Amino acid sequence: MKKTINFILRHVVLLLLAVVWLIPILWLFVTSFSGYKGINTSHFFPETWTLDNYAQLFLRSDSIVQYNKWFLNTLVIAIFTCLISTILVLMVSYTMSKLRFPGRKSLMSFSIILNMFPGVLSMIAIYFILKTFNLTNSHIGMIIVYSAGAGLGFLICKGFMDTISISLSEAARLEGASEAKIFWKIIIPLSKPIIVYTVISSFLVPWGDFVFAKLMLNFGIATDWTVAIGLFNMLGKSMINKYFSVFCAGGVVISVPISILFLIMQKFYVEGITGGSVKG
Amino acid sequence: MKKKVLATLLATAMTVGCLTGCGGGAAETPAAEAPAAEAPAAEEPAAEAPAAEEAPAVEAPATAAEGTDPVANLIAATTGTVTLKVWASEEDQDLTTKLLDEFKAAYPDVTFDITLGAESESTAKDTVLTDVEAAADVYAFADDQINDLVNAGALQEVVANYTFDVVNENATGAVEAAAVDGKVYAYPMTADNGYFMFYDSSVFSESDVQSLEKMVEVADAAGKKIAMDISNGWYIYAFFQGAGLELNLNDDGLTNTCTWNGPGGTDVAQAILDLTASNVLVDMSDEDMATQIAEGNVAACVNGTWRAETAAEAWGDNYAATKLPTFKAGGKDYQMSSYSGYKLVGVNPHSANVGWAMLLAEFLTNEAAQTARFEARGLGPANLAAASSDAVLANPAISALAAQAAYATPQRVGGNFWSPAETLGQILASGNPDGTDLQELLDTTVEGITAPVE
Repeated sequence: MKKTINFILRHVVLLLLAVVWLIPILWLFVTSFSGYKGINTSHFFPETWTLDNYAQLFLRSDSIVQYNKWFLNTLVIAIFTCLISTILVLMVSYTMSKLRFPGRKSLMSFSIILNMFPGVLSMIAIYFILKTFNLTNSHIGMIIVYSAGAGLGFLICKGFMDTISISLSEAARLEGASEAKIFWKIIIPLSKPIIVYTVISSFLVPWGDFVFAKLMLNFGIATDWTVAIGLFNMLGKSMINKYFSVFCAGGVVISVPISILFLIMQKFYVEGITGGSVKG
Repeated sequence: MKKKVLATLLATAMTVGCLTGCGGGAAETPAAEAPAAEAPAAEEPAAEAPAAEEAPAVEAPATAAEGTDPVANLIAATTGTVTLKVWASEEDQDLTTKLLDEFKAAYPDVTFDITLGAESESTAKDTVLTDVEAAADVYAFADDQINDLVNAGALQEVVANYTFDVVNENATGAVEAAAVDGKVYAYPMTADNGYFMFYDSSVFSESDVQSLEKMVEVADAAGKKIAMDISNGWYIYAFFQGAGLELNLNDDGLTNTCTWNGPGGTDVAQAILDLTASNVLVDMSDEDMATQIAEGNVAACVNGTWRAETAAEAWGDNYAATKLPTFKAGGKDYQMSSYSGYKLVGVNPHSANVGWAMLLAEFLTNEAAQTARFEARGLGPANLAAASSDAVLANPAISALAAQAAYATPQRVGGNFWSPAETLGQILASGNPDGTDLQELLDTTVEGITAPVE
């Protein structure tokens, strides 16, 4: 009896939490199918349903909605940032975890401290530095900003590599393998879960970033924008009543690549955790 | 030994960290100062450019052979491509694109590279002041931002005219709004950034809309609401200013003088309380108004031309607009006041082609452009000739705005006004739930509004 009550109580609490978390997403989702373009605060579910918002998003670009362009811009920036930062993080982690050289500990502490300063602090400085190189309002500039400091975020990845037994790389070294070979052939295949984590987290940074993008892309040219700026722009006070449900549709679509990325990566994630190399 | 090395390194790291930390701040300060510091330097070439072009224009009668037209001189002085960056609001993109094409066609001998960006007039100041040098050469903004923009050296003074007389061809109010200390800094584009009363003429008669009390009575009987964004300083100003209480920007351009807590202030506050008590006059944001008008719950609202389309769509033939009504405070009737606003086009003195930027600003705000803007988007022209056309005079929203103009004042107010006024509006619109003494409430509000700016 007591068990049943406990069970019910637990699930009621969980249900409540789930509802609280899901309601905003559900609202965004249903509003994206609304036939009325503005914010309608008197109904939760739209009165008329339509797919027109999605059609407008992809098929009818105007001066305000350039979703295809934004999506492509963001995707390109995110993919390049993701590649560069993942490689940087893995290399730094390998160096810090497996190699021994003078000053390693101090270098590690130094970079960890450096990484603790919030990036926003240097935002204005970065802006003016890039401006002198004429890299503001350019996607290359943004990729540089997003990926340049990535190597400092090696801590978690290094922690993972520390768990890979040193005897593996020692054995390889005895067989005459170079550092590069050890890195690519032994450490990388064993680090799948952490690679997945690094890929996803470094993809998410440019994908969802607003602050840097808004600062960097200040020419106001809609075709250069990323999705975050474009969507924000739709909420301007003179546009919100004509574009709100389109904004919601854009918000739903933006989550698609992340989900796909996660679904693909998830397989490796599980594999990596369950697979082992040094068996007991 | 090892520890020592580590400690030294840590200390270095901290110092470097501090430096980078300061670096951000330090970089920011010069950035903020830069326009002010550079202004004189930047003004030189900027002022020179139009002056150089102006000089022959002045001498023109004597040396007719040299070319009488400043535009011709400008073209003659131009070599290579003229690169210009223009910002117009998102809604204005289609029209501006068209105007830019016409501009290029009007000067076929010059190669232009004009890019058009989107920047709302209401946020132009924030974006421009982030980095004046990177801002557009020609940009549109709302007139309340002009003081800050001029102070930051982000506006080129209009020292010369190329194609038309900016000062005399636009409404006096608009030119005043474009001027700081008697110097004109921008080109008036529209004269409709104010508010007035929209109503459904199937609910209210023309005599009903003369008095707010009468309107509340009629709306109550019809089961409809009257909407006004009372919890917004911009709108609540209508009551206090209407009753003769003052709110002004001080000479320092930052702080305010406010007499809302003076004699008669509590009467106005009481009047707002009484009007909202019936729950017929309701406090409603602009977005909600759009929904509620469309759903037929709201039969009248205080709003601006940007809401005209929604109202016209919902009320059809019954769509009407007029000046704001009177309201009763302390037994007397007062005409509600309002803010009048203008949209202006400014030229960035950091532009590489100030002359062309000024010519383009003229082109975007001349009579033809203002007429086109009215036809495309229903925006009220500031240009006198464009404003007196039959089509403009027949537009209900714009004629209502013109009727309200006699009671309107330009928006010159320091930043500390908005949030205390918003709080006051919220408290009054919700019926003063804590039962605070009204005098006390107004004293607190005025204290906030007149607070010094640090």
